[in-house]
Amino acid sequence: MAGILKVPGAFDVTPHKVSLCILLQVYASPNQLFVPFPFSSFAQHNRLGLFLLALTKSCDDILEPKLHELINQSREIGSSSIDWLADHLISRLSSLSSPDDLFNLFTEMRGVLAGQDAGIVEDDQIILDPNSNLGIFLRRCILAFNLLSFEGVCHLLTNIASYCKEVLSSRAPHEAHLDGSGVNLMEASEYENMDLENLVFEKVTEEIEAKKKAGERIPFHLHVPTPIFGLVEDTDIELSAKPTFKQSTKGKEAISYAMTLDGSSGAVDHGFFLRSNWQIQGYLLEQTDAIEKHGSSFPLNALEFMLGQLQKLAPELHRVHFLRYLNSLYHDDYASALENLHKYFDYSAGIEGFDGIPPSSGFNNSGRYEIALLCSGMLHFHFGHPKQAVEALTEAVRVSQQHSNDTCLAYTLAAICNLLSEIGISNASGLLGSSYSPVANMGTSLSIHQQLFVLLKESLKRAESLKLKRLVASNHLAMAKFHLMHVQRPVLSFGPKASMKLITSPINVCKELRLSSNLISDFDIESSMMITDGSLSTTWLKNLHRQRGSSVIFEETEPGNRSNASSFFSQPNSIPGSVSQLVGASYLLRATAWEMYGSAPLARMNALVYATCFADCASSVDAAVAYGKLIQYLAAYKGYKAAFAALKTVEEKFISVSKSQIMVLKLQLLHERALHRGHSKLAQQICDELAVLSSPVTGVDMDLKAEASFRHARTLLAAKQFSEAAAVAHALFCMCYKFNLRVQDASTLLLLAEIHKKSGNAVLGIPYALASLSFCESFNLDLLKASATLTLAELWLSLGSIHAKRALTLIHSALPMILGHGGLELRARAHIAEAKCHLSDASFSVPETSGVVLDSLRQACDELQILEYHELAAEAFYLMAITFDKMGQLEEREQAASSFQKHIMALEKVTDEEDPLLK
Amino acid sequence: MGSKEICRNELRIAVRQLSDRCLYSASKWAAEQLVGIELDPVKFTPSNTRFQRGSSSIRRRFRTNEIMSTPIAGVSYVSTPVMEEDDIVDGDFYLLAKSYFDCREYRRAAHVLRDQSGKKAVFLRCYALYLAGENRKDEENIELEGPLGKSDAVNKELVSLERELSMLRKNGSIDPFGLYLYGLVLKEKGSEHLARNLLVESVNSYPWNWSAWSELQSLCTTIDILHSLPLNNHWMKDFFLAGAYQELRMHNESLAKYEYLQGTFSFSNYIQAQIAKAQYSLREFEQVEVIFEELLRNDPYRVEDMDMYSNVLYAKECFSALSYLAHRVFMTDKYRPESCCIIGNYYSLKGQHEKSVMYFRRALKLNKNCLSAWTLMGHEYVEMKNTPAAVDAYRRAVDINPCDYRAWYGLGQAYEMMGMPFYALHYFRKSVFLQPSDSRLWIAMAQCYETEQLHMLEESIKCYRRAANCNDREAIALHKLAKLHCELGRLEEAAFYYKKDLERMEAEERDGPNMVEALLFLATHGKDQKRFEEAEVYCTRLLDYTGPEKETAKSLLRGMRMAQSGFPSMSAEHFPP
Repeated sequence: MAGILKVPGAFDVTPHKVSLCILLQVYASPNQLFVPFPFSSFAQHNRLGLFLLALTKSCDDILEPKLHELINQSREIGSSSIDWLADHLISRLSSLSSPDDLFNLFTEMRGVLAGQDAGIVEDDQIILDPNSNLGIFLRRCILAFNLLSFEGVCHLLTNIASYCKEVLSSRAPHEAHLDGSGVNLMEASEYENMDLENLVFEKVTEEIEAKKKAGERIPFHLHVPTPIFGLVEDTDIELSAKPTFKQSTKGKEAISYAMTLDGSSGAVDHGFFLRSNWQIQGYLLEQTDAIEKHGSSFPLNALEFMLGQLQKLAPELHRVHFLRYLNSLYHDDYASALENLHKYFDYSAGIEGFDGIPPSSGFNNSGRYEIALLCSGMLHFHFGHPKQAVEALTEAVRVSQQHSNDTCLAYTLAAICNLLSEIGISNASGLLGSSYSPVANMGTSLSIHQQLFVLLKESLKRAESLKLKRLVASNHLAMAKFHLMHVQRPVLSFGPKASMKLITSPINVCKELRLSSNLISDFDIESSMMITDGSLSTTWLKNLHRQRGSSVIFEETEPGNRSNASSFFSQPNSIPGSVSQLVGASYLLRATAWEMYGSAPLARMNALVYATCFADCASSVDAAVAYGKLIQYLAAYKGYKAAFAALKTVEEKFISVSKSQIMVLKLQLLHERALHRGHSKLAQQICDELAVLSSPVTGVDMDLKAEASFRHARTLLAAKQFSEAAAVAHALFCMCYKFNLRVQDASTLLLLAEIHKKSGNAVLGIPYALASLSFCESFNLDLLKASATLTLAELWLSLGSIHAKRALTLIHSALPMILGHGGLELRARAHIAEAKCHLSDASFSVPETSGVVLDSLRQACDELQILEYHELAAEAFYLMAITFDKMGQLEEREQAASSFQKHIMALEKVTDEEDPLLK
Repeated sequence: MGSKEICRNELRIAVRQLSDRCLYSASKWAAEQLVGIELDPVKFTPSNTRFQRGSSSIRRRFRTNEIMSTPIAGVSYVSTPVMEEDDIVDGDFYLLAKSYFDCREYRRAAHVLRDQSGKKAVFLRCYALYLAGENRKDEENIELEGPLGKSDAVNKELVSLERELSMLRKNGSIDPFGLYLYGLVLKEKGSEHLARNLLVESVNSYPWNWSAWSELQSLCTTIDILHSLPLNNHWMKDFFLAGAYQELRMHNESLAKYEYLQGTFSFSNYIQAQIAKAQYSLREFEQVEVIFEELLRNDPYRVEDMDMYSNVLYAKECFSALSYLAHRVFMTDKYRPESCCIIGNYYSLKGQHEKSVMYFRRALKLNKNCLSAWTLMGHEYVEMKNTPAAVDAYRRAVDINPCDYRAWYGLGQAYEMMGMPFYALHYFRKSVFLQPSDSRLWIAMAQCYETEQLHMLEESIKCYRRAANCNDREAIALHKLAKLHCELGRLEEAAFYYKKDLERMEAEERDGPNMVEALLFLATHGKDQKRFEEAEVYCTRLLDYTGPEKETAKSLLRGMRMAQSGFPSMSAEHFPP
């Protein structure tokens, strides 16, 4: 019936198998004694056996080796008798000129097997046990041959003729007509002479041969003339795919990738090709991972070409369409992605090899189209069509409920959660209102936040009950993200005003994060067997290859066992990429959380863990985020020089990734530096550039927009345009309020306080500072709180010296936090403020406390010089000079004064030096 | 009349030349057109034709010096000199080879010609080899086949043929027929651009080879490609263009071309069948039926295109006519994909879907690229509620020809059946894109939007509006539009569409619940809008129906009378005249 898959693994007799049988006969010829004729030693004989074993293992290949490839491979045995073996093989094959010869051959094969009278076998006679691996293979071949119709036998015969034609014609063209296939060969050589004039054809072959030569390390044939390659040489697939990729991404990632990609790095030149059905599936899965990891930097055309070839060879392998879909998805080709997605699901009905569904059990008549819906939802999401995505996902929920496919349902719910949290609040409300809400029992009166929360809970519950470990983990992560990003009202609410208190819950975040990383400890084989199987057989043959020549091969005799499979993994590969990706994501989220709650060292540590442990399985975007965090840390604690040096290396590393992440980071750093150096014009320019990066649609890229306008206000402040700065900050506050960006609200309030402080309006500033303080308190933003306290203290201080004491207490309360976690700028500010407090205090007497003041001022100066923050540095030196003056140390005073002058000069001389980093 | 005469003469020579080269289907086509030319009663005498046949070589020599322009309808045609044969007397070997060829012993024929170097002999040898390869390929397809679907058998002769032909071409010793074969080989190999160039070259130097034209046509997948071909103006080009337009779904243009051609070839069965095809695409089933009836009268053993006729009969549910047709083609040639499709259609109409699937399968076995069989099989699976199989079948049809809007539609339908209207929309969109003038597709799409799961009524209204504009035969769209507008509370629009629907029903003299519904709505609406006279008219019409509506109408009328009589009488009291 159409629509149902072909039963895989029909065992056909092919020329390759015939030659294996012939080799088997040599290996276990019944008439020979202890060490059969062509072999000089027992070891050699054994090596042939192992070789044959390896070949029979990969006998379900989609692509079978050509004869010359087989002969080349057999050289790995390293026996001196190999030439004899090759000659024997070729002569046996070419002597098969009529169907009857084939019949005779297979009758002979029976003799190789021990028959029913196996009891009377003598000890020194080599006889194949019918139940051994090789024996079973031989029996299967014989059986398959006996089942062939006459047409089948004819086909086999012609195939054998063309199978050895290449080798024969390259060996001895004039001898060729000796055997039955001579007629064909004559024709072939006739045409070869003809084609000399044909330019097009020649060009193609030249190209192919050039390619061959490029990939060649060992001369292909010992028997002189270059073989005739067919127009489409199958091994070219790997050849052309690999180098392009290596070029496009540098670094060790690419190399390790290339290693896993083609099974064995030297494979191509040896004509190694092991492509059983499983292996192709495994290979495709690997490709899938690679695409997801590398995103748009993955070479589109190389894979596309290879997929085209694969499809030609295996038309019923529909997964190819899926890969095409992924490929075009990541290269932002909407039309082709959509087309291939539909094609895949139309052909396979979602049954063929989808993760998490064992292929055998998912065989009901209805197909699994809900997965198609899930995928198409994700597709629309990816391309930024939230409305269609919601429609598709809603339908996926419904259909999977209908077919009671709980797994898919759980995944779909998770996808919806993701969608909701990504597209955010602004445009989602209208979105869910228009269609009906995804989960029917959910009231529409709930806010989008609450809907999301309910959905998350539900999806988590479902995933837990279904024991989908990965999904549970990712749901926990989503939950943590939710807790992190969304400020909640307490659940119980009475009265109009009292209930408006908003809080965040870092404990929940922490809990969720822990829960999600538990995954790695109790991860079991939820992932499909296919991955392991595919890569297992690949690595297995690779290992066989590596061992040749060394004597290790005798120790590891039964390598086929799956039980000791793990020993064949060259690297600790037992954790699938997706799992470690998830765990990595939890670390990244942790870093973000710490960043928010205000512990820079912890944030840095987590980012560092991510960058070191999970970099090779992370998607490039995530890795860029982690690096970005690290660089920001550098800028805040080590100054700009170090940060820019690091940025440069990172930029090189992510050269091919969509650069927006790194771009934003760079602009941020540049802006910060410009502000500190007092280049307000440059700062404004950078600020505008930053604003341009965000999308023009309202409600999208809110973070970036808020950031840009925040920086705009700061630039205006630095340029002493206070009323404009205040206006911008006000607008920003309104926007943040509208889009529920509570954290940004807190910092905006602080900025307003700062503006009023700078404009000399301390009284107006205090309420803002207080408001910011209370925001920070309820949202657990510790570092921001410390900085708000500092601002408050500065405000009090500027109200007059009578408030110095109060200011000092405030500063002291914030100092532990600032010194522990704050960046250079914040620390310097705290020091200066402290010194100021002391200086303005009426009871301050120079000789007693000057040590304290000078200490903090010195520290501030050091820190500010690293930052090149001229304005504050000048202030610090000024204060220092005054202190020295009071103490009567004139020499130091002069020194401080000259430093002060230097910084003032630098501030005033707004150099227009071209910044090399800004282009 | 001169042009007809010229066509006739050219065709006569072409038929002989083509069949001399064993290009039988092309010569069949040419001969059909030759007979299709309206006979000139004056010149039509037996002696005349005999003369022409007997002295073709003399006439030919005469012709090459003559300028043959055939100015039909202002188009100046390029004269294409009729080809000179290189040797008038065929060699003995050629005769033997041709006889072998005629007995379908292709390899033998090629072998006989192995040392011949004449253009004709070379062509025949290559062509015989090509056909031998094709034959073998077909056999292998069956021998090696897995499930229905793709198979990787290839014509093994292609490589060597390509080499030889390219060499010939380089030497300049290739004739138009060789070019045609070369194009064919290249097309098979997948180098379409080169194949197109060669075929154009071939038809420009020898335009009467219909096989070359039709290969070229299959390579013209877009209108741009078609227009970019550097073709000489020859009357054969009109045939080509008409066919190409049809493939590109420009049915009206194609129809116009065919009708123009019919002026010359008024008795051509081919043109008639093509016109029927175009009309079928335009869904003018009545006309198609008439044409086919006439065709069958003239050519009772015709099997080509008859599956289309059966589709029409199927759509019109003519059981006996369909069974008669099935029987007829079955007796003529049962192993033709067309015959199998016709029988499949018949069983489908009878509701015996398993049997019908069996016959479609047979058709596919005979020609696995038989588009309509895949699509029809999909329909059958849909009927049998085996949606995955249906999806698979439709998908294969779509992969063979991505412009087959029926298969896209079928895919959409299958997914809709599975309760995935959003997913189905993708397919409906595709089909509507390909055939925007088909109201059924728009209606299907609208219904998708309308489902309770999606409930996107605005989009649905848009689709229904398109459907209503495309001559919606079942008159679903207007009624639906009215209903949807009513549902959305836009009463004026609803009234407008109800009125339109009513007019239409009156014009077509249909009656039924829709009528009652429309009348009832209009009556109530009229009353609410205080257009009492109008409302009264509708109410009185409602009184003709039985059922609860009658009572509603009565009470409406009563209410209106009350209101009407109430106000004027009141005013009369206040202001006595």
